[in-house]
Amino acid sequence: MSYLEDELKKALRRAEPSAGFAERVLARANGPAPAEPSWWERLAVLVRPPRMQWVALSLIVSIMVPVAGVQYRKERQARAEGQRAKEQLVFAVRMAGNRLHRVQQKVLEMGRMDTRL
Amino acid sequence: MRMLRSITLCLLAGAAGYGQALDLKNLDKLAEKASDKVVVTLDGSLIKMASKFLSADDPEEAKVRKLVAGLKGIYVKTFEFEKEGEYSESDIAAIRKQLDSGWSRIVDVQSKKDGENAEIYLKTGSADGGLAILCAGAKQLTIVNIVGKIDLDELSELGGNMGVPKIEVEKTKPPKKDD
Repeated sequence: MSYLEDELKKALRRAEPSAGFAERVLARANGPAPAEPSWWERLAVLVRPPRMQWVALSLIVSIMVPVAGVQYRKERQARAEGQRAKEQLVFAVRMAGNRLHRVQQKVLEMGRMDTRL
Repeated sequence: MRMLRSITLCLLAGAAGYGQALDLKNLDKLAEKASDKVVVTLDGSLIKMASKFLSADDPEEAKVRKLVAGLKGIYVKTFEFEKEGEYSESDIAAIRKQLDSGWSRIVDVQSKKDGENAEIYLKTGSADGGLAILCAGAKQLTIVNIVGKIDLDELSELGGNMGVPKIEVEKTKPPKKDD
């Protein structure tokens, strides 16, 4: 016999199970079936993203939040500039109109004086 | 004389202005002497931007919005001085020189009573249009330059609401021949 055959015989020799093995197997087979997972547990499994998706989501959020912040600040600044320009425009129009109105009044007053003379 | 005033009055009341931006930089030196100054510089893009912020619900803002539509610039410089003689005719000579060509003076009021002279110019021979108002008092100097076509009647109406009551013209009956 070769050394290999000896080793195989040793490894594959019959061995007796531990005491109570048959009883334990029969008890498990006849026992109640494991509980079915509830619908939300199944749903959670379905929608649970793998780790890579969480990483991508975190990356997107970490980029989007500062970009949105900068955009918001720009928009606020533009709005403030617009409001300031509006105030200047209204003031300038009023000022121009006021000067024009004063000249108009003077011309009217002079016309009235002329008529009285 | 009366005829001339009537004509200018009609022009003032209903005419649409025509003009171009004036160079008002030479007035900057007056800012040091002035006790109060107001400088407004609005080019076409700023007017457009500002117009977007004018509310259509506010009657006055709606009027301003309508009035400034299509304008290419509004420039206002006002200086108030503590004493008389803080500025001289030479300070405004450069502006008068610009107004000499391409502008038509439609009103020239010289009041000895309050010492204020006022002139109104309209840009002529230009499709852009423009208006210039030059008010020179003893202690005050105001230059207004509007680039683009503007309804003078509406502009005056808006100015009349600025704390200055509008004066209704007293219609005096012409004297009878036998008076």
